[in-house]
Amino acid sequence: MWSDKLAAFIGDYPSAVLSWVDSSGYPLSVRCRVGLEDGTQIIALPNLPLIAGAWRGKACLLFHMHDERLEGLRQMVLKGELVAAEAGAVQFKVSEFVTANGRPDTDRMPHANAPVHMLQFYRLGRSKARAYLAKRGAAWPPIPFEEIARAVDRD
Amino acid sequence: MRPMNRAALPADVEAVLGQFYTCEFTTVNRQGQPMTWPAVPYYDPARGTIVCAVSIAFATKAYNARRHPQVSLLFSDPTGSHLSDPPAVLVQGQAQVAEVLDYTPDIIGLFKTVARRQPDSRRFTSNPIIRRLFVWYLFQRLSLTVTPERILVWPNGDFDRSPTQIELAGVV
Repeated sequence: MWSDKLAAFIGDYPSAVLSWVDSSGYPLSVRCRVGLEDGTQIIALPNLPLIAGAWRGKACLLFHMHDERLEGLRQMVLKGELVAAEAGAVQFKVSEFVTANGRPDTDRMPHANAPVHMLQFYRLGRSKARAYLAKRGAAWPPIPFEEIARAVDRD
Repeated sequence: MRPMNRAALPADVEAVLGQFYTCEFTTVNRQGQPMTWPAVPYYDPARGTIVCAVSIAFATKAYNARRHPQVSLLFSDPTGSHLSDPPAVLVQGQAQVAEVLDYTPDIIGLFKTVARRQPDSRRFTSNPIIRRLFVWYLFQRLSLTVTPERILVWPNGDFDRSPTQIELAGVV
């Protein structure tokens, strides 16, 4: 399903990562430029890298960015397919927008500076983790926090 | 796990695997749909493997890799790496998925890598209250250990060129 709110962020990214699955079953990815065609809900892929030139079918586009301290994280994935367009052009037809934060209105990852967003993420994650542990059928073993902290601090 | 022949890897490729902050990790879901998300990789040069981890709360990547172990990792964003004009590197390989219950050198290496690249994360891992609250995110994790089979390299990160290819499948 198309999302105008999330599509509005595409222009913030200088490029995207296009992925597909080759005939051997291995995924392949390349970084490429994308362009939104106004009113069409279709993403243009001008100058598609050579290696992706022949692929048509299921694919995804990842948009992500971070700064030099691995903060300011933003990310979202567009599921869809590569389709042929007029004059040999290739387009990405979107079937779904997916965010890693579970929200339909922003691609920003939770951060301590946005406590409401962090609380929402906490509740979502804790709920999903409890579901995982319930399915696992056994408690997670004790975690040696101090041992890990000491090892990290020795670095 | 089979060690990779390190001699097969050029120095600039090793530098990318070891120093890029993130990679773009692709798994394939039940519908044959590729799904790519950023991940922090830990490259173990001695074993030739790359380890990433996901929270048990957001484990789709691990579920996909269990069902379809062929995965890929693209290293295409040099932000923070301090490498000058690095190549872009795509690693295709086989993933093994496991719950992180033992703190092996690879897993400790991953914790160190995250702390080094994201220094603010230490505020979370060093605070007993916060790490208890977020234990499901920080510590209850599934590891994905990738043994590379094939590597594609785009010099200067130029995807308009044909990549060079390094075959590693069967190399001991």
